[in-house]
Amino acid sequence: MSGIDNEYVRMEGISKSFPGVQALDDVAISVRRGEIHALIGENGAGKSTLIKILMGAYQKDAGSIYIDGARVDINSPLEARRYGLNAVYQEMLIAPKLSVGENLLMGKMPVNRLGIVDWPSVYEQSRDTLRDLALDIDPRKKIADLPLAERAMATIAKVVGEKANLIIFDEPTARLTTEEVETLFAIIRRLRQENIAIIYISHWLEEIFELCDRVTVLKDGQQVGTYPVAEVDEDTLVSMMVGRSLEEMYGIKRVSPGEKILEVQNLTVEPYFSNVSFSLRQGEVLGFFGLVGSGRTPLMRAIFGAESPDAGQILVRGEPVRITSPTQAVNNAIGMVPEDRRLQGLAMPLSVKHNINMTSYGDISVLGVVRQREEAKRSQRLVARLNIRTPSLNQIVAKLSGGNQQKVAIAKWLAKDADILILDEPTVGVDVGAKVEIYHMIEDLIALNKAVILISSYLPEVIGLADRIIVMAEGNVMGEVSPEAATEERLLRMASKLEV
Amino acid sequence: MMSEEQADKRSTTPGLTLSVTADEEGKPKRSLASILKATILNTQGSLLALIVVIMVAMAIATDSFWTPYNLQNLFRQASIEGIIAIASTIVIITAGIDLSVGSVVGLTAMISAVLMTEVGANIGVWPAIIIAMLAGTFVGLYHGFIIYDVKVDSFIATLGSMIFVRGIIKIISGAKTTAYLPDSFTNFAQVEVFTIPSLVLVWLGVAALSHFVLKYTRFGRNIFVIGSSMEVAKLAGIRMRLNIYGVYILAAFLNSLAGVLLSSRLTSAMPTGGAAYLMPAITAAVIGGASLHGAQGSIIGSVLGTLLMTTIITAGIHLEVHPFIMESVLGALLTVAVVIDQLRQRRAA
Repeated sequence: MSGIDNEYVRMEGISKSFPGVQALDDVAISVRRGEIHALIGENGAGKSTLIKILMGAYQKDAGSIYIDGARVDINSPLEARRYGLNAVYQEMLIAPKLSVGENLLMGKMPVNRLGIVDWPSVYEQSRDTLRDLALDIDPRKKIADLPLAERAMATIAKVVGEKANLIIFDEPTARLTTEEVETLFAIIRRLRQENIAIIYISHWLEEIFELCDRVTVLKDGQQVGTYPVAEVDEDTLVSMMVGRSLEEMYGIKRVSPGEKILEVQNLTVEPYFSNVSFSLRQGEVLGFFGLVGSGRTPLMRAIFGAESPDAGQILVRGEPVRITSPTQAVNNAIGMVPEDRRLQGLAMPLSVKHNINMTSYGDISVLGVVRQREEAKRSQRLVARLNIRTPSLNQIVAKLSGGNQQKVAIAKWLAKDADILILDEPTVGVDVGAKVEIYHMIEDLIALNKAVILISSYLPEVIGLADRIIVMAEGNVMGEVSPEAATEERLLRMASKLEV
Repeated sequence: MMSEEQADKRSTTPGLTLSVTADEEGKPKRSLASILKATILNTQGSLLALIVVIMVAMAIATDSFWTPYNLQNLFRQASIEGIIAIASTIVIITAGIDLSVGSVVGLTAMISAVLMTEVGANIGVWPAIIIAMLAGTFVGLYHGFIIYDVKVDSFIATLGSMIFVRGIIKIISGAKTTAYLPDSFTNFAQVEVFTIPSLVLVWLGVAALSHFVLKYTRFGRNIFVIGSSMEVAKLAGIRMRLNIYGVYILAAFLNSLAGVLLSSRLTSAMPTGGAAYLMPAITAAVIGGASLHGAQGSIIGSVLGTLLMTTIITAGIHLEVHPFIMESVLGALLTVAVVIDQLRQRRAA
């Protein structure tokens, strides 16, 4: 034990830039033994970068790292492990085709005298580790055969079993059920008792208050501050994270909803969701909330013709329509901005102009020949209207920032003049400034009498923007809530099937 | 420690971070290495420069290279390969690959030759050409079906048809060369317009049309989106079946045209005809800037790529380099082209 007040790791003056972005600027954090230290901030605030620098995956541009008071250089993940640092990442770094036991004992498999793996003791040892953590998982099962939540717990067991001095948990509860979250918290609290230093990253502020001792807030790569959790409340943390009050962020001008434009009746796609019915009016923002696996995304893909429904029907402007492909959805004036911009929403190697017009070349072609001037004019207009920051219309989309990319992904549906817009997690991975711009864009859309379906896992966003909120869990609609009646707790309880 | 000012400069030059240094005025000053690299990576300029350098060097080094006869021959040689390279470029832009080009060329060459010569099958030049090209183009329709509807990877799908079609050629021809094609057919390849060989005119015509299609039509725009990501294209409402069938049918059509021109030029059709065109065509497309990752490539690039390949081969012949060595050189060239493609991708990422 050394250093001031039991400090184990201290990072000071850490800066890191990537082409086009200053990810971290003079950030400091200190973590004590036997402390659960929360690290929070919006997407893109620099949490992951800071952690990756500590774990040796990235090299810092400036700053120093001290472990037990001694200055160290951490040049690779291997060196980080040697200093007793370990991490549970969001992406699970385990071998899915191997058994739980093999994963837990990877690199230190017990062998018999002939050098052959001693399987009974592999399973016995791993069963002990799992039982120790109160996990009921069969060590002989392949990781790939486990449900997602158990997979996540197995990953956590692997890291905890490796006996580190500091463990980082990066959004560990994203895939877990409420019960498993309790188990995880028990494990983390026990690690604290064993005098291990813990960095805990989460979007859920309630978790911070339930579990953590101190909290460090990052915003846009800068450190807002470090505070004892007992001395802050949720509102303070939120305004520190976003740099403005909630009201300012989500205060959009609403319009009174017009005619019913979309009706979904008893729509079913096995095994994702069943019997989903709802309707949507012009000028309305309909929020969809649900946890991972609730069926929101497959539902939207089905409405957009990217999944074929097993039952149910869709009505657009009161008329039943057959939508078996995205092309047909587009012909019914439906547009979708998918969750994954890079893989689904944008042609990354192509230009801003090409991306904006990719949905609407049919409208601006004569006998199959594109009217170049019209193409440029439309792009220019949308770039100006959505305030897309790009050096030119010919800039490759891959080189724009996340927020500007997202604006291009939305612009392509404005070019097509879609009346129904499905936005699936539109603000993931965009900075706060662009977020606000996207909110204003939604405001513009409803002012033009468009109908918007907003899917978001970020509760303040759903509550702040939607006119009505539909909560889904395990493929079913759990209910509809008005924003006035919606609290984060209530929506979460509904999404976890604790309340209807 | 890096100052904020430096950080800013880095941030304004994405992608060039490694090769850019800041001078005292704060303007980014490009190092010689980075200029060289940029020139090499700017495909069309460097290709043209390279072709000119080789031609000038050959004109100085040998007496036989810079002669009207040799130059005409060089371009005639390039034109058939050039049309196939255009077809390959279009497929590569969609992030696909067509390995069957040589077989489709051979098939069309053989069918047209057989239909013009075999006793009892001789149906006249034009009907023979049309039937042969329909048969070749049909392979493209089949590719559309097997790649889009059956969802077989284009590499495997076209590898299968490359071998399958070659077998068909041997069945049709009895594995024998079909020669003595009618003069009215073989004369076409010998025609010149103001000393420009007819084949070259066809090549340039195809290039101009294809360039227009890729650059100015809805179809052209769509296939770049498809090449960048099938999922993105699908979710943008682009009609996938129409466009993917279109690409493979267009490619097979161009290869069929090349096949007819080949038999006209050689005045015969061989069972192995066209087989040697696969690698040069892909090399020319990639040298010309087509990326095997899709969404990149141009017809002008493929024209220059073809010209460079043919110039190198012709230069090799005039310098009396052993054909086996030339074969290795061409293989190495394909590798170099793909490595340059990788560098370009990394730079763009």
